[in-house]
Amino acid sequence: MNEKPVKPQNRVTKSMKIRSKVVAAVFMLFCFMIMWNMIDVQIIKYEEYKAKASSVQLRDTKISPKRGTIYDANMKVLAQSATVWTVFVSPAESKEEQHQRIAEKLEEILGVDRNKTLEKLKKTKSYYEIIQYKIDKPQADAIRNFCAEEEILGVNLMEDYKRYYPYGNFAATILGFCGTDNQGLAGIESFYNEELTGVHGRIISAKNGWGLDMGYEYEELNAAQDGYSLVTTIDETIQHFLERSLSSKVVDYNVQQRAVGIVMNVKTGAILAMSTKPDFDPNEPFTIHDPKIAEAIEAITDEKEKNDAISKARQSQWRNKAVSDLYEPGSVFKIVTASSALDSGVANTHSSFNCRGFVNVGGWRINCNQRSGHGVLSFEQALINSCNPSFIELGQRMGIPTFVDYFESFGLSEKTNIDLPGEQKSLAYTAQTMTETSLASNSFGQTFKITPIQMITAVATAVNGGQLVQPHIVSKLVDKEGNVVKNLTPEPKRQVISEEVSKQICDILYKNGNTEQGHAKHAYVSGYRVGGKSGTSQKLDTEMDDDYIASFVGVAPCDDPEIAILIFFDEPRTTTYYGGPLAGPVVGELMGEILPYLGVEPKYTESEKANVSIYVPSVVGKDLTDARVELQRAGFTVKVMGSGNSVMSQFPSNSNKVQKGSTIILYTEGEINNVMVTVPQLINQSPAQAESVLKGLGLNIETTGVSKNNASAVVTAQNIPAGDKVQIGTVVKLTISDTADFE
Amino acid sequence: MKKAKSKKTQFNIRKFFRFADKGTSIDMPMFIITITLVVFGLIMLYSASYVVGIYRMNDSMHYIKDQVVFAIVGVIVMMIASKIDYRILLRYDKLVLGLSYFLLIIVLFMPEFKGVKRWIIIPSVGSFQPSEIAKFTVILVFAKLIQQQGSKKMKTIRYGVVPFAVILASIAFLMVLEPHLSGTVIILCIGAIMMFVGGTDIKWFAIAGGVLVVGVVGAVIMFPDLVPYAETRIVAWRHPELDLAGSGYQSYQSLLAIGSGGLFGLGLGNSRQKHLILPEPQNDFIFSVICEELGFIGGMIVIALFLALLFRGLYISSKAKDKFGSLLVLGIIGQITLQAFLNIAVATNTIPNTGISLPFFSEGGTSLLMLLGEMGIVLSISRYANLNKGE
Repeated sequence: MNEKPVKPQNRVTKSMKIRSKVVAAVFMLFCFMIMWNMIDVQIIKYEEYKAKASSVQLRDTKISPKRGTIYDANMKVLAQSATVWTVFVSPAESKEEQHQRIAEKLEEILGVDRNKTLEKLKKTKSYYEIIQYKIDKPQADAIRNFCAEEEILGVNLMEDYKRYYPYGNFAATILGFCGTDNQGLAGIESFYNEELTGVHGRIISAKNGWGLDMGYEYEELNAAQDGYSLVTTIDETIQHFLERSLSSKVVDYNVQQRAVGIVMNVKTGAILAMSTKPDFDPNEPFTIHDPKIAEAIEAITDEKEKNDAISKARQSQWRNKAVSDLYEPGSVFKIVTASSALDSGVANTHSSFNCRGFVNVGGWRINCNQRSGHGVLSFEQALINSCNPSFIELGQRMGIPTFVDYFESFGLSEKTNIDLPGEQKSLAYTAQTMTETSLASNSFGQTFKITPIQMITAVATAVNGGQLVQPHIVSKLVDKEGNVVKNLTPEPKRQVISEEVSKQICDILYKNGNTEQGHAKHAYVSGYRVGGKSGTSQKLDTEMDDDYIASFVGVAPCDDPEIAILIFFDEPRTTTYYGGPLAGPVVGELMGEILPYLGVEPKYTESEKANVSIYVPSVVGKDLTDARVELQRAGFTVKVMGSGNSVMSQFPSNSNKVQKGSTIILYTEGEINNVMVTVPQLINQSPAQAESVLKGLGLNIETTGVSKNNASAVVTAQNIPAGDKVQIGTVVKLTISDTADFE
Repeated sequence: MKKAKSKKTQFNIRKFFRFADKGTSIDMPMFIITITLVVFGLIMLYSASYVVGIYRMNDSMHYIKDQVVFAIVGVIVMMIASKIDYRILLRYDKLVLGLSYFLLIIVLFMPEFKGVKRWIIIPSVGSFQPSEIAKFTVILVFAKLIQQQGSKKMKTIRYGVVPFAVILASIAFLMVLEPHLSGTVIILCIGAIMMFVGGTDIKWFAIAGGVLVVGVVGAVIMFPDLVPYAETRIVAWRHPELDLAGSGYQSYQSLLAIGSGGLFGLGLGNSRQKHLILPEPQNDFIFSVICEELGFIGGMIVIALFLALLFRGLYISSKAKDKFGSLLVLGIIGQITLQAFLNIAVATNTIPNTGISLPFFSEGGTSLLMLLGEMGIVLSISRYANLNKGE
C-alpha cells in the first residue's frame, strides 16, 4: 500500500490512548451496573417476576361443571341441567360499521332492545358486555349462523347450564331451585349443592396485551368435574298422587296457611313423597305461583310495600312446612304416649280407665272431647275414642322423667337431620322444665311444638317394630355413568319401643281405622288394613281463636306396616276443622292409590269381599244363557235388554272393573244398545239408600271413603251430577263420609 | 505491496473478500463481531416482531422483510466502505455538516409522527432520522477538528472548547426542537467523549460539571417544587409497578419479561410478553424479549458482543494511523456501544425510560444501513492501522 507517511503531529498521542482507557473504564462501570440489575431481576428475583408475569400473561377461565341430575327412586328425571349460552359482545373486537346490524339482529333473535345493544357496543375498550344470559340452542344457533354468514366480529357465545325441572310445579319444596349462577338455593338443590355442583375446571390460557387468547399452543386445560347426580327416595307417581290430592283439598277446604303431606316408608324412613301446597314452579321460582296472591300483590301501588309483599310471598311459597314449621300435633301424638306407656310397663292392653269427661291437674280442669265422659274404657278404647283424661293418666303413671325419656327417644327433642335445609328444632320440655300440668297437656299432644317430619317419624317408629328411623330424601350419589359414588341410605337410629308393643299399637290403629267409633275410619280403604290417628290442634298463638290445624297420620297395612302418610291442613275454613273428616279421607284416598301401586296385596274381610271390584268377563257373541251363567258365577247380576238369544254387546264392557254384585246389561238382537237413564240426587242419603235407588235405575255403584257399613255414614259426593243422562249400567262413584265426628 | 496494487487495479471479487492480505487487511475480529451482531440481530428481531407483525399488519414477516434487505445492502456498503481510504472523509466534513444542519431544519417541517418530528420520509424508499446523520456528523467534524487543532491548541478554550461547543449546542438545539432528548443526550455524550480523548483540558470538564451542579442547585432554590417532583420521578423509576398507568408500564413489563426469562429463558420464539403486552418489542424493548427467550445467558451474550465491539474498537482506535482515524473509530464505536448500553439500561430499569433503540437489533432499516456504513469506515481505518506492529 503506497501512501504518504503520517505527519508526526497527527499521530495518535499517548494522552489519547490513556483518555480512551478512562472512557472504556466508565463504560465498563456502567456495564457492571446493568449486569448487576440483570442478575437481580433474572436470577435473584426470578420466581417473583415469573409469578408476576404469569398474572399479566395468563387468563384463568373457569369452566362450569355440569350440575348433577336429580332422579326419583325409579330414575325418572326430576331436575336436570341443559346447556345454554350466554351472549356477550366484545366491542373492542367488533367493527363499527357492523354495530347497527348486530343490534338489529340481536333484537330480532333475542328480543333485546337494539338501543341497549348499541349502547354496550359503544364501550370500545370492553371485551365483555353481556347481552343476555341463558339462551337456548335455537337462539344460539341463529346467532352463530348470523355471525358466520355476515362475517360479524365481536358477538360471542359462552356455554353455560340452565336447570330444568321437567315436571314443572312438582315436588318443589323438596327439589328447591337454583339461582342464575346454578347455585342451589332451596331444597335438596341447596342441601346437596356441593355434591351436585362438581368441581370447576380451568382453562389457563396465555393472553396478549389486548386480553385475547394467544392461541391453543399456550393453553392448559383442567377439565371440569361434573357434579354427582342424586337418586332420591321420592317416587314420582306417589308424589303426583299426593300433590293432586293436597292441591284439590286446599281449594275445597279453603286452607289459609297451606297444606302438608308426607308419605314415608316406615321401615327405612325413606320419604316417598312430600309436599307443601300451594308451592311454586322450580323453573320459575321467583314467580308468585298462587294466582290469588299474585293478583293481590299486583294491586299494591306503593313500590316498597309491593316489593316487601313479593319478598314475603316468595319466602312463604318456598318454605317447606314439613320440616320448617312447628305445630302442636294434638291427638296424633297419643300414638307416642300409648307406645311409651305400653313399653315402659305402666299400662298394658288390658288396662282400663274411667273417664268422667274432665280431669283436674295442678288446679286446672282439663276437658275430654266428650264432655259427658267416656265412662270405663279399655286401653284400646281410650285411643280409639281419643280420650284425653285416659292419656293424662298414662302420662301421670309414667311420670315426668320416663315421659321425657320416651319423648326424647322418639326423636322429638332433636332435629331429625333429614337431608333438607331449614329444619326447625322443636320446642319441647325437658325433665327439668316440665311440670305436672305440662305433663298432662303433653300426654295428649298439646303445649309443645314439633315439625310434621318429626311426627311422622315418631309414628313410623311406633309401628315399624320400634326402631327410630332416619328420614331421608336422597338414597345415593351416582356419577354420570350411573355408578354409585356413595350410598346415603341411613341406618335406623335406635330401638325405642319393643317389637311387641309396636305390634299392639298397629292393632289398635287398625281398629281405630276399621271400627265405627274409630276416628280413623275416614281413611278406610277396602282390603288394605289402613290404621291411623287424627289430630286437631288449636293454634293458640294466632290472632284468631278458631284457627286450627287438622291433621291425620295413617299407617298401612296394619299387619305389617309399609307406609305412613301424614296430612296436615293449616287453618282450614270449611264446615269443620277436625283432622278426622278433613285429613282422614285424603289419607284413605292416597292409601287406596299408593298401596296397589306399590304392589301390596289386598286382603279383604268377609264383608268387604262382597264389594270387591273385579273385571267384567266378556260375554259378547255368546249364547244368552251361557253369558248369564258366566256373569252370575263371577258375582254379577244380569239384566237383558231385547228378546234375542245371543249377546250383541254388554255394558259395562270387559275392560272395566266394577264391584261384585253390580248389574251387567246385556243387549240382544234388535235392541238399541244404549238405554239412557237420569242420575238422581244422592248426596246426604245413606249408602244403603243410594245403592237401592241406583239399583232400581239399573245403574251400578262404587264407593270410596268410610266403610259404608257404618251407621252414621252418608254420601257426600257423587261423580256424576244429578240430572245427567247416562247409559244404563254406568258405574256411579260415591264418596262416603261419617257425620259423627269427634276428637 | 506492488503485487497488491496491481491486483487492486483489476477488480477481483475473490480478492475483495480475502482480507488476510498482510498490511492491507481489515481487522477480522471486528468484522466477525459486526457480522455476528447483524445476524443475531436479525434472528432476534424476527422472533420479537412476528407477533406484533401479525397483530398489527397481519403479516408475521412485516418487520423482518425490510430489515433483511437493508442488512444485505448494509453489509455490501460496509465492504465497499472498508475498501475506501477513510481519509477521503477529511474533504467532506463541511459538506456533511451543512447537510446535517439542512436536514435537521427540514425535519422540523415534516409531519409529526407520534407527537414528534424526527423522521424524514422519502416516499417508497423509507424514512430516516437526521439526528442519526447528525451523530455521525459530530464524530466526523470533531475528529477532523481535533486533528487540525493539534494537541497544544486543544488545551485552549478558543480552539479546544468554543468551536466544539458551538457545533454541539447548535445541533443539540435543533434536536431539542424535534424534540429528541435521548438523541441529544447521546450526541452531547459523544461530543464530550471526543473532546475529552481529543485533548480538551480537563479543567473545562470540571468547570462544565461545576456549572451543571450550580445550575441544578440554582433550579432547586428557584423552584423548590422540583424536589418532590424529582422524588416522585425517582420513586416511579425505582418502582415502576406503582405507576402502571403511566410511564412505569413499559419498564414494569420489560422487567417482567427479563425476570421471567430466568437463567436460560423460555426458548427462542417463546416470549409471552411480546404478545402486545410489552410495548415495542421489535424496537426499544427488544433486549427484554432476548432476555425472556434466551435468559440471563442470552442477555449476557448481547452485552458481551457490545463489549467486544467496544474493546476491539478502542484497540483499533489506539493503533490507528492518525488522530483522525483514531477519533473516528472512537466516536463511531463509542456512539454504538453507548446507545446499546443505554438501551439495555432502560430495559433493565437501570436508568429511567427514554426511547433509545438497540443498534443491530432494533427494527429500522436506514438506521442499520447507517450503522453498517459506519462500521465500514471503522474497518477501513483498521486496514490502515498498525495492528500487527505492536505498541
